[in-house]
Amino acid sequence: MNYTLNNAESRQKRTRDTLGSLKNLWPLLADEKRPMVISFMAILINSGLNLLAPVCMGYAVDHYIRTQNYSGLFMISGLLLVMYIVVLGSSYYQMMTMGGVGQRTLYRLRQSIFQKLQSLPVAFFNQNKAGDLISRINNDTDKLNQFFSQALMQFVGNFFMILGSAIVILVLNARLGGAALLPAVGLLLFTLLTSSYVKQKNAISLQKTGDLSAEIQESVNNFKVIVAFNRRDYFRKKFAEANEQNYKASLSAGIVNNVTLLPLYGLVANAGQLIVLGYGIYLISIGQFTLGLLISFLTYITRFYDPLRQIATLWSQFQVALAGWDRISDILLMTNNLPQVSEAAAISSSSIMSFEEVSFGYDEREILHKVSFDLERGKTYALVGPTGGGKTTTASLMARLYDPTKGMVRLAGKDIRSYSDLERTKKIGFILQEPFLFAGTVGENIVYGNAEYGSYSQEQLLEVLKETRLDGLLARFEKGLETPVTGNGEAMSLGQRQLIAFIRAVLRKPELLILDEATANIDTVTEQLLEEILAKLPKETTRVIIAHRLNTIQNADEIFFVNSGELVRAGSFDLAVEMLMQGKRES
Amino acid sequence: MKYSYDSTMAKPPVISPPGTAKPKLFSILSPYKGIISVLAGLSVVTYALNLVLPKIVSHGIDAFIGGRWDLSVVALQFALVAVGMAVFGVLLSVIQTYASEQVARDIRNQLAAKISQQTFAYVQEITPAKILTNLTSDIDSIKLFVAQAIVSMISSIILILGSAVILFTINWKLALAVLMIIPIIGGTFSYVLSKVKALFIQGRQIIDWLNRVINESILGAALIRVLDAKSREAKKFEAANEDALQTGLKILKMFASLIPIITFVASLGSLIILSFGGHLVIQGSMSLGDFAAFNSYVAIFIFPIFVLGFTSSLIAQAEASYGRIASILNMKDEVATGTLTPTLTGQMEVRDLVLTYGEKPVLKQVSFTVKAGTRTAIIGPTAAGKTQLLNAMIGLFAPTSGTVFYDGQPLAAYEKQRFHEQIGLVFQDSIMFNLSLRENIAFNEKVTEADLQRAIEAAELQGFIESLPQGLSTIVSERGTSLSGGQKQRIMLARALSLNPKVLFLDDFTARVDRQTEASILANVRKMYPDLTLVSVTQKISSIEDYDQIIVLMEGEVLATGTHAELMKSSPEYVQIYASQQSTNHYELHAE
Repeated sequence: MNYTLNNAESRQKRTRDTLGSLKNLWPLLADEKRPMVISFMAILINSGLNLLAPVCMGYAVDHYIRTQNYSGLFMISGLLLVMYIVVLGSSYYQMMTMGGVGQRTLYRLRQSIFQKLQSLPVAFFNQNKAGDLISRINNDTDKLNQFFSQALMQFVGNFFMILGSAIVILVLNARLGGAALLPAVGLLLFTLLTSSYVKQKNAISLQKTGDLSAEIQESVNNFKVIVAFNRRDYFRKKFAEANEQNYKASLSAGIVNNVTLLPLYGLVANAGQLIVLGYGIYLISIGQFTLGLLISFLTYITRFYDPLRQIATLWSQFQVALAGWDRISDILLMTNNLPQVSEAAAISSSSIMSFEEVSFGYDEREILHKVSFDLERGKTYALVGPTGGGKTTTASLMARLYDPTKGMVRLAGKDIRSYSDLERTKKIGFILQEPFLFAGTVGENIVYGNAEYGSYSQEQLLEVLKETRLDGLLARFEKGLETPVTGNGEAMSLGQRQLIAFIRAVLRKPELLILDEATANIDTVTEQLLEEILAKLPKETTRVIIAHRLNTIQNADEIFFVNSGELVRAGSFDLAVEMLMQGKRES
Repeated sequence: MKYSYDSTMAKPPVISPPGTAKPKLFSILSPYKGIISVLAGLSVVTYALNLVLPKIVSHGIDAFIGGRWDLSVVALQFALVAVGMAVFGVLLSVIQTYASEQVARDIRNQLAAKISQQTFAYVQEITPAKILTNLTSDIDSIKLFVAQAIVSMISSIILILGSAVILFTINWKLALAVLMIIPIIGGTFSYVLSKVKALFIQGRQIIDWLNRVINESILGAALIRVLDAKSREAKKFEAANEDALQTGLKILKMFASLIPIITFVASLGSLIILSFGGHLVIQGSMSLGDFAAFNSYVAIFIFPIFVLGFTSSLIAQAEASYGRIASILNMKDEVATGTLTPTLTGQMEVRDLVLTYGEKPVLKQVSFTVKAGTRTAIIGPTAAGKTQLLNAMIGLFAPTSGTVFYDGQPLAAYEKQRFHEQIGLVFQDSIMFNLSLRENIAFNEKVTEADLQRAIEAAELQGFIESLPQGLSTIVSERGTSLSGGQKQRIMLARALSLNPKVLFLDDFTARVDRQTEASILANVRKMYPDLTLVSVTQKISSIEDYDQIIVLMEGEVLATGTHAELMKSSPEYVQIYASQQSTNHYELHAE
């Protein structure tokens, strides 16, 4: 499966219109029907009363002020006061419910993004730039956040205000009303016609922001090289380039968002007022209208066009949010290409793992070609071979970070794809070539993802470490378990990070433990300690060791030589060394 | 399931600019005086025109009542003003957008330029994650400030003052009565906004925390899958997400109270107009046209009060963001670089070098010398301080005390650029840029094609490069995921060698490269770069036995210095390391 998000071709396919984007959003709102209905009702009451107020005003002018009727004037003032109080209550209620819908939707959105990120395979993360992913999730969700927590309520409120005003206007006087609303119809058409263009501009702008953030991510994280190779100008230049692109995209999106819509809406609103004034006075002069009604009418026109102008502002925010939403749903629509398959026939096998004619490549280039082997329980295997020969790839297939393109990987006799993630990761421990640490403490890092010890206290954990003889390794950390890990462990040496990864994996007591150059940067004295620990693992534990240092693999029961897509049993240690020499000469 | 929001992201910047008071947000506008004054002028004109329209309407109504109605005159006046408003509105929007985007772009560039001048240690201290936030979301809130706050403030003040004046000229008694609502609105606003500010900050911190967890789940994706740590992470995330929801709801409650109350108070204003204004009309001291105009002006007048309230929260947010940025912008550039530009011979002396991290000493009084053209190895256990020593020797980290001398001159005396051109460093962790292989190796722009080819040859990369369909133009993907550990290591070596360095520092280069490749690469380096002084951090004794000098470093201290033969006699620690590697030595010998 192609997991590339910023691929021009696939993006073309994914470009959606406003309606399509909204349809995608619907599942997130599905649980909110009840509060939405309630709040719509509150909005109806609210807008109804708000619309009634000018009618009362107009009525008061015509019937009480012009006839100098004080008691009527007071009565209607009292009535208005009551109406305003009801509006106070209902609009509070409406904002709370509608706002609650927005906040909960946002909660669900974050939840589903996170779950999606957790479910996608490693390939997804390798095919996309971390900076762009981070920008999509942090920056684009924020755009939706702004929309949901602020704009949505105004949007709905304004919409009903417009609708209500239109109805009142038409009821008060259909001809005058129709004439006054005419400019708005043109405006509506214009807005609908331009909205996909507006959204597209915003989508480009958001993408450029993603590029910018990818640029920052790369340069700042690799700052060491930039300083050491004296390329501070590189950062500035590359950044300035991405910044300029972002500026241009953002500028054109900004102009499209603000320039065409707002002044146009103002102009149209004023045209509506002029129509009411001119045509209204004409109607009065022929006796079909009253002055009081004209004053009310002018107020209604304002109440029709003002929210419309508000919506113009919100409309561009809405398009920005939709563009952000599209970028997020690109991720949400991705599916895992490593599903759990239904259990196939298991073969009885004493081996913990076997490869049956496995072929694999990250792209068209094949890295492994029809590789077959068995790993027996309790034995130690070593994978050797020149760099780039496919050792790490073989290990990744063992842990099902990828599925083979052809052939089958069996874990304890069963298709590895038939295991749930939980079962599989319980059986297989994999210490990756590049150790990764989470911000926190050393203690938190070594029990990370460990169901058994995750909730242990310091003392309990130390006890466990003593039993497994791992406690000696803690001496390499100034404050033991409490040693803080900042950033992602940047302040620690690679050797220290490898030690943490080692403890983390061993504590999980896997049946198959894979060490991918896991101790490459650890000194040989400490390494001997690690070997003792490995030797003390339960008898049935199988170990797979990838290493360049020959002493690390000399105790292996069997050695495989991996090169140019093939995996060959080396027989003995001496033979393996021999092959390594020859392999070198050939390549 | 504990987590703290203030762990890394929310920490206030560690280094505050000396002698500066609170950074002034408005000071960022001073380079843009021209465009900002145009902006201010345009908003004055545009919004002043806004005030004219109701006047035309009320004159029209009065004229009709007085029998002087002329549609064409009113329509002409009205159209002129409306079109004027639209034209000025377009101009205003264009300039608004330009100004805000330009300010954002320029501050971003300034910030990037500033960061590019900082030391590696400082960048680590403020953390790459915070730099990303500074360059994106913080700048965005400043952009919003320029785009909206300025025009909003000016227009609101004009509208409020203008309509207030007009109200007074129409009827001062009624105006006075209506304006009573202003203090109530103002008071409510400032009360709620002051309470909501704390919630905003809290919400921001939770979001920062959520983002950090998301970022970790992106960067640590492979590990999380290997450990199946998904559900545990999900619980933590859910708890924080729940907090974010609760904070969001609290903020919502504030606004859900604020807005209806303000609207209610504003409605009271129109109620005053109806009752008291109605009374005045009945009395005959006010015309019906004026009554209508009053209604319109009060509507014009209320809205900007809302706007001002929200603008003030916008400004507060921008101020907070600018504070975060300003602490970086006001940083002094890395200590002035020296002036010496000679060619290095490779002679080095490390004298009394001390490096402390917090309270923990990493290096304790480290001293040794390196003769030009020799090979020196540094050996020692994990966390002994070897990498930090290398970093201090090339000036990546400034030591707490002590000095590194090159040819008898302290490191600080050398001109930085010229110095780094002569130093090659191969880092322990592989760092690849999303560039072509050629650009990754010839990372310094001064590298010539001949230098490049020689470096590739020495690092034994020809075979690999030839096997690629696009050769040197192949783009290396981010984090170099398409390359094996050993390939990355050799690219890093070629990158260092292509500088034609006088001194080459290797940090555990042998860890990821097999014995055979390592031996031939090091032989290449000796042959092709004969004058090179080599300092190599390593774990393997077999490859350094013939070095001129071996330094044993443990827990930040130099335990022994000497050749292999000397150390085998004098240093028990060295003998122990040697013994730990002995068992396989006959194979290593066999290999050679």
